[in-house]
Amino acid sequence: MPPDFRNNQDTALSELLDLTIPADCEAIPKIVDTVSEVLERREVPEQKRLEIGLALQEALANAIVHGCGNDTSKEVHCRLQTDSHRHILITVSDPGPGFRPDLVPNPNNPENLYADHGRGVYLIRQLMDEVTFQRRGNEIRMWKF
Amino acid sequence: MIVGLQPAALFGEDELDINVRKRLQVQLVQLRGQLRLGQGVDDFRRTIDEAMEGGDTCFVINLDEISMIDSSGIGLLVRYLASTKQRGGSLKLVKPSPFAIKTLRLVGVLNLFEIFDDDDSAVESFA
Repeated sequence: MPPDFRNNQDTALSELLDLTIPADCEAIPKIVDTVSEVLERREVPEQKRLEIGLALQEALANAIVHGCGNDTSKEVHCRLQTDSHRHILITVSDPGPGFRPDLVPNPNNPENLYADHGRGVYLIRQLMDEVTFQRRGNEIRMWKF
Repeated sequence: MIVGLQPAALFGEDELDINVRKRLQVQLVQLRGQLRLGQGVDDFRRTIDEAMEGGDTCFVINLDEISMIDSSGIGLLVRYLASTKQRGGSLKLVKPSPFAIKTLRLVGVLNLFEIFDDDDSAVESFA
């Protein structure tokens, strides 16, 4: 279990990126690529960038598809922040009703292995170091230490 | 530093190139780019669906130039693996990147696929 630095006074978060985007899946790649570029400029290692990028891809997809119902008149909010330890925090929120993350089935269960969906949240949890859901389940906070 | 994007900058060019060749009875599908939700996954689905509607059941998917596969891409690969096997064929992978292998392993489907180092050996494995 990594140490929890988030409540320390000396680890105030710095804003790297703050975006509100239309709920359109075609907008996801540009956001993921932009975040990756910001992290590359901050010399975040490639493997870590790949993992963050894929987790962000999944979080944005969930927000757009499930949170907004692919309604492009709705918007998704995405923030990229860092602390003095160079830990990365990504927050994605949507205006949807939220969901119960504890009810997401495990895709590794034999009965789910050949399912064509249902791996996104599980993948995020595997790729990131700490994942929490806020508000009513329509905001995800993902830390990479 | 706060970075913003203009709305027009949010939408890029097609991010998945798909090249299909038929060798023996095998559809050899070369992908380049990102296999992720959106146009890329839609184009890949359309390509495989059309081939299967034409009776093809044996597929080799070359992932050598795919840098990212998301859960929707994984879902398609697994779905077509199952549907081709049900029809007596299969879907086999060539040269997934280390990160793609890691992704497939994380969600527990890596061992479902036969994986090859090159197109020739993958195609010949159907003989």
